[in-house]
Amino acid sequence: MSLESSTVGTSLDAIRAELARAKLAASTFNFIVWIDDPARRDWIRERAGMLSEKHPSFTLIFDNTGVREGDATVTTSAHEAHASFTVRGERVEIDVSGLDAATIANYVTGLCTSSVETVLWWSGFKETSRATFFALLPHIDTLVVDSSGGLRDESALRALSEFHTEHLEVALRDLAWMRLRPWRDMIANFFDDEALLGELFTIRSLHIASGSDSEALYLGAWLASRLEWKASGRDAFTDREGKPVAFKRRREGEIRRVQSICLDSETSWYHGEVTEDSGVVKIWVEGEHASEPRLFPLKAIDNASLLERAVLESGPDELFETALRAAATLLG
Amino acid sequence: MTATAGGVAANPLRKGLAANRISDPCNVVFFGATGDLMKRMLMPAMYNLRLEDMLPSNYGIVGFSRSDDDDEKFRGEMKKSVDQFSRSGPATEPLWSDFAKRLSYVSGDFDDTNCFIKLREHLEKNDRELGTGGNRLFYLSTPPSVFAKIIDQLDKGGLGPRDNAAGWTRIIIEKPFGTDLDSARALQAEVSKVFDEKSVYRIDHYLGKEPVQDIMALRFANVIFEPLWNRRYVDSVQITAAETVGVELRGGYYDNAGALRDMIQNHVLNLLALVSMEPPAAADADSIRDEKYKVLRAIRPIERGRVTLDSARGQYDAGSNAGKPVPGYREEPDVRADSNTETFAAVKFLIDNWRWADVPFYVRSGKRLAHKTSEIAIRFRPIPHRLFGDAGDALDNNVLVMKIQPEEGISLRFNAKVPGPKMHIRSVSMDFNYGTGFGVVSAPAYERLIGDAMRGDATLFTRWDAVETAWQIVMPILDKWQNTEDESFPNYSAGSQGPPSSDRMLAMDGREWRKI
Repeated sequence: MSLESSTVGTSLDAIRAELARAKLAASTFNFIVWIDDPARRDWIRERAGMLSEKHPSFTLIFDNTGVREGDATVTTSAHEAHASFTVRGERVEIDVSGLDAATIANYVTGLCTSSVETVLWWSGFKETSRATFFALLPHIDTLVVDSSGGLRDESALRALSEFHTEHLEVALRDLAWMRLRPWRDMIANFFDDEALLGELFTIRSLHIASGSDSEALYLGAWLASRLEWKASGRDAFTDREGKPVAFKRRREGEIRRVQSICLDSETSWYHGEVTEDSGVVKIWVEGEHASEPRLFPLKAIDNASLLERAVLESGPDELFETALRAAATLLG
Repeated sequence: MTATAGGVAANPLRKGLAANRISDPCNVVFFGATGDLMKRMLMPAMYNLRLEDMLPSNYGIVGFSRSDDDDEKFRGEMKKSVDQFSRSGPATEPLWSDFAKRLSYVSGDFDDTNCFIKLREHLEKNDRELGTGGNRLFYLSTPPSVFAKIIDQLDKGGLGPRDNAAGWTRIIIEKPFGTDLDSARALQAEVSKVFDEKSVYRIDHYLGKEPVQDIMALRFANVIFEPLWNRRYVDSVQITAAETVGVELRGGYYDNAGALRDMIQNHVLNLLALVSMEPPAAADADSIRDEKYKVLRAIRPIERGRVTLDSARGQYDAGSNAGKPVPGYREEPDVRADSNTETFAAVKFLIDNWRWADVPFYVRSGKRLAHKTSEIAIRFRPIPHRLFGDAGDALDNNVLVMKIQPEEGISLRFNAKVPGPKMHIRSVSMDFNYGTGFGVVSAPAYERLIGDAMRGDATLFTRWDAVETAWQIVMPILDKWQNTEDESFPNYSAGSQGPPSSDRMLAMDGREWRKI
């Protein structure tokens, strides 16, 4: 793998001329990244770079942090195959601070390949970025966000649910939801034994400890949507027979991470708790269906992997969207 | 509560998660548990299945072998093998300790029924203590000579399916399944006394490789290839399975096998079947295996008089590998000094059906060749009319190559105009690499196949009718080669493209091999 970078002006013509020096051998998607938080700039750029070097893609990073100085960088990543160079990816980073929304959208229409899917990873949080977000929206197929990327509270999830209600045409991915897949798998695993399946419908309370609110809300909302629970108020459900199910969540541990979960049925307590190794959860059952503790590996929770999965899975995620709607109901 | 098609209540939380990816609780018993295959492949595969959380909550892994080991020693040896050979790197805590608790060892002789009774008692104890539910998967990773004996002892020890009302009993049998048609039938007779066909998983690890499975995706998930996939557009097909290594430490086995038995009868014919079969009606095990069987049945038997015309054999002489001198086959350990065993085999097959009539399928496999490569190359017919005159005289036929190893991908060769004022046409290649295209590394074949057998999915395993037919296909060649010495042996240098007789076989048809 080799990388070649050059810095040019931010005009569309200058960038096009630089790109014309080496053409993509194959492109599987356009990947647009928006950054407006200087504190997370390097972290986001690094992950976007990892993805664009791994997959044949055209990556367009809009840097609105003001750290750059009115220029653009064009980077091609290539690998040697059969003694010749095959270009595998192109990445353009542009300083867009001070540019209006229409000009920024113009980069998308002017540079992106039209025949492949376009994914926008939006990490913006500034109110002033809103206009750009809505200017980019008509040009994208998939929107990737992280509702617990930088915030511990529920505000991002609330905003996301409002957006989703108004823009069903965009396939939505939330890394906070995707990060929960091993936890969902682990919870499902408790009840894969047919003899325990009935327990699912006698759950009386749900306790979740997590470093940020999105994780707890998503897990609660997912269980509610799968088990036909209805939100009966903030953090409270009734099950399909009208019996109450208490939902107790507390903020504990690292941001973006679930710390523990406990489901109380009428007969047993189903526990999962992160061990000293943050990649492993200890799970056990107390009560009538007691079982010895065993260890459950949490896989693929690093953000680069999640981002990759978000980009590679195309089309709407019905399960997620149902959980998001349920979370919105919980938030009231 | 929701219900599945099978009438069994389904877990509503499973929706969107890997459905049915985890098997029933079970014990997996490895016979030959101290052998090389176990250390290099099988135990690392089991550990990675655990890391991928593809094992059920309740499982036991039992090693059975002659060595006088105990649980602790076995666990220690298996940890060493995982540390050395696992694709995920050395075993880490606390997962290894959790995994190791499920490992146990039974020392026993394959001739002693009491040892199998002891094994049964051990598995029953696991059922009680580990909750493995009476389900058992036996894996024969022993020399083939003891397959029948182990199966017989399983029956005598009360470990066969008939004696297990509590759960299912399955068996994975390593290749080779027999050494010729008669011995394969004899082995099958022993197998079928104890196991019905649905419980038998004949493993051909080639079928577990991701690119082999991609052959079906390429053919049946695209509209642009299948209309061309027939005698009207295809000139010929070449299947190559070339290795740079020699027989290494397998001289004793290999000298009694040879390339035809070791590769062509199983791996290569499986590839041929996948690439030439009709589209199956469904993606289930039997639909796919039905089509593979049908096309194998359509392969024209090679008449004895045509064996020398439609096949070629070779044996490597001293030469070089990666710039280093290597010995000839007859100088390898445990190989007879006057060995007549072929280390290279090439065969021309014809398929007598509507789709493939008169399209030759050239297959070859050999050791100590110039490069390690496995691929299927579909060579299309020439264009019907040369529009570009002289500029088109050198036009190459289109070739679609499915690369299996070491690269995994697809390459399409086509003709394009060289930029400039003249109409100059040149052959170019459009390549797709699975690893870089999808950014994922394929799991080793054994992980996929053991996981499938635990779940009861036999799609990637070979059914008896196909094994028998494959033996029937190669027997005329095998008979001829066994009964006539090839005086030209050794007839190709290590590190070369193979013997000249192989090139002559294609030259007679006006064709040539792709360069290895």
